[in-house]
Amino acid sequence: MMMPINIRPDQLAQEMLDYSRKLGQSMENLLNAEAIDEGVSSKQVVYQEDKLKLYRYDTPEGVMPSATPLLIVYALVNRPYMTDIQEDRSTIKGLLATGQDVYLIDWGYPDQADRAITLDDYINGYIDSCVEHLREQLGVEKVNLLGICQGGAFSLMYTALHPEKVNNLVTMVTPVDFKTPDNLLSAWVQHVDIDLAVDTMGNIPGELLNWSFLTLKPYSLMGQKYVNMVDMLDDPAKVKNFLRMEKWIFDSPDQAGEAFRQFIKDFYQHNGFINGGVWLGQYEVDLKHITCPVLNIYALQDHLVPPDASKALNGRTSSNDYTELAFPGGHIGIYVSGKAQKEVTPAIGKWLNARP
Amino acid sequence: MSNDSFFNDDWLALQRKYWDNWTAMSQKAMGMTGTASPTTPWESALDHWWKAVSPAAPNVSKSFIDNMLEQGKVFFRLAETLSASSTDTNTNLGVTWWTQALEDMQKRFSGSLDENGNAAQRMMSFWEMPLDNWQRMMSSMSPIPGDMLRNVPHDHLKDHLHRALAAPGLGYTREEQGQYQDLMRCSLDYQAALQEYIGFYNQLNLKSIQRMAQRLQHISTSSDKPIDSARALYDEWVNCCEAVYANEVITPEYAKIHGHLVNAQMAMKKRMGIIVDENLGAMNMPTRSELRTVQDRLQETRRDNKQLRHRLHALEKQVAVLLGENTPALSTAIKTTVPVAKTPVRRKPAQPE
Repeated sequence: MMMPINIRPDQLAQEMLDYSRKLGQSMENLLNAEAIDEGVSSKQVVYQEDKLKLYRYDTPEGVMPSATPLLIVYALVNRPYMTDIQEDRSTIKGLLATGQDVYLIDWGYPDQADRAITLDDYINGYIDSCVEHLREQLGVEKVNLLGICQGGAFSLMYTALHPEKVNNLVTMVTPVDFKTPDNLLSAWVQHVDIDLAVDTMGNIPGELLNWSFLTLKPYSLMGQKYVNMVDMLDDPAKVKNFLRMEKWIFDSPDQAGEAFRQFIKDFYQHNGFINGGVWLGQYEVDLKHITCPVLNIYALQDHLVPPDASKALNGRTSSNDYTELAFPGGHIGIYVSGKAQKEVTPAIGKWLNARP
Repeated sequence: MSNDSFFNDDWLALQRKYWDNWTAMSQKAMGMTGTASPTTPWESALDHWWKAVSPAAPNVSKSFIDNMLEQGKVFFRLAETLSASSTDTNTNLGVTWWTQALEDMQKRFSGSLDENGNAAQRMMSFWEMPLDNWQRMMSSMSPIPGDMLRNVPHDHLKDHLHRALAAPGLGYTREEQGQYQDLMRCSLDYQAALQEYIGFYNQLNLKSIQRMAQRLQHISTSSDKPIDSARALYDEWVNCCEAVYANEVITPEYAKIHGHLVNAQMAMKKRMGIIVDENLGAMNMPTRSELRTVQDRLQETRRDNKQLRHRLHALEKQVAVLLGENTPALSTAIKTTVPVAKTPVRRKPAQPE
């Protein structure tokens, strides 16, 4: 039998001193940090409705943009600047480089006046207004849609209800089967009385969502992460990037109550894409109405949307051009990791360019 | 900045002194009594420094630094706890020490060991993180501190309170009494749910410690490399906790506990809202329920208006086509408010009035 822990006192003292020095340097770097910007690529607002803003990103010099615009539909949870978080880690920049004409919906921050906005308003209202704006302004029949996470679910619903307006559909880390055995968020919400929560609070506070996300891995996300940070933040150049990420993680808009009510009940509790019964206004969502080419991208280490939750899309549409792409990373890494910049974004561009 | 020298000089000097002392003492630690353990200037010095500079710290960094400092303290507490075991060069005694230390932690979770704020005790805050997260979230959404009900005695008073709350209200204010009784019932239910939640975490923590003990046992009897740094030990600790946590929180039992906690909190908050609305109404001020009715009606009107505007726009274009006017991209830009699918979209049947 040997000692399971073998740390000499002098080693331990040295380790603690090193840690202290790094922590001190990290503190100084953090205190001297400049304001954090939201997104790094230049863009213009081309359409506005209520709190929604539709941005068009500037095409880089020397790149001829595709005739079919690419509309990115982000989730209502967190903010879309994660797709453009820093110069060398930007999904937007990667897509622009492949010749996509990139547009992005920023939902803004709903307040209590937006409590009564429904999923129908978001999908048949706001998303359709953006699509219509692009069709009219650019004189095109169809747009390409790229939906991210919950925005992917929105894009699936939109495409199912408006198939004549969508040329290609890309879904990224998008839940389709909300009741896979490894889906913690889904397991937790089964006994939550969503009607009571929405009736009580009106909108669902972003803090409540943050709490849910942090408790997926509490010891890693609330503890270990900060201990490990000292190894990185003694470099001033890295501080800003980490603060950007930290700002994004806790930048959680409140959720418009009625839309939240329907999304959680229809999908997390009743698994609507699988079992049916999702109604937007007067119309029922049926994924079989999707006929356009579909690229479904999921992350193999995704703890928010497990791979099986996304892979469930296979065979559920009427598309005869369905492609899957598995990324060896997590829910956020698929946008911000160096590997994603090399693998994911170019693959999306190539796939879209092959389907003009 | 002006405080740079603190970290570069004073703070590190203090640290060096502390760890030098600690190293020296640990070399003589065989037979050392508990009262001879070194003091912990690290935490207090850091707290003092942060108190001084935090008002001037940029907002963007403030909460991040808070978290780093807090977790840095946890890490240091772990190292401090280590000091007792590391001084023991006898293998069997070392294993015995760890077994004892882990058993002590289990006793603390079960509430059978009283401590006086030593390092091991303070290190327990590591396991409080999920609970702490809930309290902070609740506090951010409520005028009442999130932990107000956490330590209120519950079991002893429960039956008496329920009996008292079952008594009907009397006299002119009986309705108001009834509302406060409802609120009290909801508070009791929330307190019960919170105790259940805390109980779950205490059990979970016990299992985490058992898993850590198994891991250490495995290392001591296998060819695995011994843990040779405080950071490696911390990481092992986190891995054990996460593994046990992942197994426990996916269970249907936890889903019920979680649901009960959230529902009980919402029910209590809803009761508060009803009382607030009653008071607003009494003062002839708009209530929240009235505002919501207005919001619903307004949203319906806005929805109708938008649809009418889109239809009008489409009709204008169709008229322009009929008149032969120049309308770029006209044929492709007609808005369809009704979804057009190759397969007919199922339309919701009319609801009976």
